[in-house]
Amino acid sequence: MTREPYIRRQRDEHGRKSVAVLPVHYPKELLTALDLLAVEVWGPPGAPRSDAAGRIQAYVCSVVRNALAFLASGGADVVDAALFPHTCDSIQQLATLASDFGGWKKPTLTFLHPKDPGRPSARRFLVAELHALAGRLEALAGRRLDPERLTAAIALHDEIDLHRAALLDGRATLPLDDRALYALLRRGEWLWPEEHLAELQAARAKLGTGRPAASIPVLVTGYVPEPSAILEILNGAGAFVAADDYAAVGRRVVRDRRAPATDPWEALADRQLAAPPCPTRVADQGPRMRHLEGLAERSGARGVLVHVVKFCEPELFDVPAIRRTFEARGIPLLYLEGELEAQLSGQAVTRIEAFVEMISGAGGAA
Amino acid sequence: MILRRVQYEAAARAVGPFLAALDDWRQRRRKRPARESPFAPPLESLRALKDMMMVHYLSGRYADGAVPVAWVTSGFPVEMLRTLGYHTVYPENHAAICGVQRIVPALSDAVEAQGYSRDLCSYVRSDLGSLDTGRSPVGRLPRPDLLACCTNICQTVLYWYRDLARRFDVPLVLIDTPFIYGEPAPHQTRYVVDQLEEAIVVSERVAKRPLDREAFSETVRLSREGSDLWGQCLDTARNRPAPWTGVDGFFHLGPVVALRGTEACNAYYRTLLDELKDRVSRGIGGLKGEERHRLLWDNLPVWYATREITTLLGSQGFNFVCTTYTNAWAEASSLIDPANPMESGARSYSQIMLNRDLPNKLRLLERLSREFAVDGAVLHSDRSCKPYSIGQIDLKDRLARDLGIRTLLLEADHNDPRSWASELAANRIGAFMESFS
Ligand code: SF4
Ligand code: SF4
Repeated sequence: MTREPYIRRQRDEHGRKSVAVLPVHYPKELLTALDLLAVEVWGPPGAPRSDAAGRIQAYVCSVVRNALAFLASGGADVVDAALFPHTCDSIQQLATLASDFGGWKKPTLTFLHPKDPGRPSARRFLVAELHALAGRLEALAGRRLDPERLTAAIALHDEIDLHRAALLDGRATLPLDDRALYALLRRGEWLWPEEHLAELQAARAKLGTGRPAASIPVLVTGYVPEPSAILEILNGAGAFVAADDYAAVGRRVVRDRRAPATDPWEALADRQLAAPPCPTRVADQGPRMRHLEGLAERSGARGVLVHVVKFCEPELFDVPAIRRTFEARGIPLLYLEGELEAQLSGQAVTRIEAFVEMISGAGGAA
Repeated sequence: MILRRVQYEAAARAVGPFLAALDDWRQRRRKRPARESPFAPPLESLRALKDMMMVHYLSGRYADGAVPVAWVTSGFPVEMLRTLGYHTVYPENHAAICGVQRIVPALSDAVEAQGYSRDLCSYVRSDLGSLDTGRSPVGRLPRPDLLACCTNICQTVLYWYRDLARRFDVPLVLIDTPFIYGEPAPHQTRYVVDQLEEAIVVSERVAKRPLDREAFSETVRLSREGSDLWGQCLDTARNRPAPWTGVDGFFHLGPVVALRGTEACNAYYRTLLDELKDRVSRGIGGLKGEERHRLLWDNLPVWYATREITTLLGSQGFNFVCTTYTNAWAEASSLIDPANPMESGARSYSQIMLNRDLPNKLRLLERLSREFAVDGAVLHSDRSCKPYSIGQIDLKDRLARDLGIRTLLLEADHNDPRSWASELAANRIGAFMESFS
């Protein structure tokens, strides 16, 4: 089932309202606790859905230009509100452009996660901001947020992450191709969490029962696996994603398994802060590089694919550090920049194939 | 340390002023043939401005090791650092000087070779490139002991300063100003106040002295007065003809950016204001000929092509009488209350234009358009600065529709001339001017 009928069915069968959510990080637990369906908008990929993309200059990323075109074309009219997290300068501007100058008429919510979140001031602010967002969501849902339901939602999303982490970490023993795996993981962007959990549980049962058809492990870091053809090309060339650091996928899987704080707001803040390092939250590069090194080591990746959206400052700023990190470890790296196009260019396909060929030889040393 | 301090003080108080005076004398003696230009003779204050900035950069060469040095973003609440005796360096200001000198392509090439994308802000590429190549029009910048970053202009600065922190291995203090949609919520202001307190602790530790709160209030007062004086200078252009051009404003901005909170900065603007008022009283305009049309400029200047653009327009009687860019510093510390610097500072520095939503920017554009009686606007669509540029297409349409003024969206990059197509721009500007006839 595609998103739109699904959203309608959720409303008809469960009385659930829905919220379109722009990338990347947001407290989904709050929405779940208030019985609100989150439906994420990553672009969407392909050509812009309306002329409204032309209201944003061509030197701005396609995620933001496509999102405005999508909202303005009525693509998200089925939902009841839109949430814009403070991901980058571009999304911040999109929030005001679409809401104040046309493109989005329904309620607009914002979530300002603090940058450099390690400071005491940042944590206090995060908790206050979570409360503020909860207040707006309560008004939308037409109900009060029950602390017990929030605790349960935190536990639910914790369990989802447990399964997602298991699938990603045990990837080499999962007999699925990358397209199927990512389709499963990314259905979490719009399925009701319990349904997503059931799918993840079913997939997890397959762990250890086989291997992906491709055999060369690579680490992928970047923004969003679009166009998804990239996964097919990779698999076709003989490589598979053994470790994932896409902002849309692996960077949102919380692996911290400490017992949650008793106060649900503190537990929620802990979960927000425990997500892997992500440049959109302006995490320090040091921890991010160590995280990437850990992923490469544990997965035995023979190469690194850096796959970013053109004009994406948060991602682009980390590229030199990623290059330095893997150069120092002698792990080859391929840098790909895309624009949410429907298909990969012939040149990109050739580069991926040549890269996989290179790392598949003699232990992959470059 | 003592020797270094002596060198620093000597550069600031004796050598710098002497060299500046020598340079003035040389300039006066040099009989250059008058350049064909549509502009009135330069303001007398320009000499004082050059001297002041020269002394600032010259003394900066000796600052590290003599006094604590902080590299600071243009929107950072600098008053605390000033009070703690920091020599402040503004990499954006330095990058703009690189832009005017057209050395950015060479600087950018150096960092692009390391994997920095050409799509990153050209200020960042200029600054990091200058560090890597050692090339700088001002000789050298002092090594920082502290990096001070405020996200009220963009998030880019945080990535940039994080990179600097790694290179120099010094503390980075951050003021993360939540973007304001509508009005700021109390918890957002509280967050900024908390961060100001945290920043003071780190800045004190690095400076090895406590912040004297009374002296801090005095710096705040000076800062507010400086912003106010700068605003008054800008306001003189409400007169017809405007006594200077908006482009003069780009250059006279130096002190309020780099020396805000000092008596020297304020003294400079008093002199400038007197001169501008004098020009107004004598009916002298920024253009030599008749000021036929009055324009507004939005976004950063195109540093390497400012003269090219304004000469083209000025020769047909078009003058930039106001800019959103220069106006931003008239606002920077305008709401700070010396009696309550933390709370009021948090509010003031959070509410600058780039940290607020587009309706606020539209109101500003409309206000400036009305108060300065403009009949046209040029919106520089700056591929390097997304926070300033996103929304301009709608803003342009609204200005045209609601105020009936003519508008032009001019594509460029504020610092990297490789994104500038001179002939194409001339054609577009030409067509824009024709639309007035
Ligand atoms: S792709 Fe990058 S620039 Fe674009 S919305 Fe996402 S984080 Fe922002
Ligand atoms: S030019 Fe724009 S993006 Fe660059 S530092 Fe200034 S405000 Fe930020």
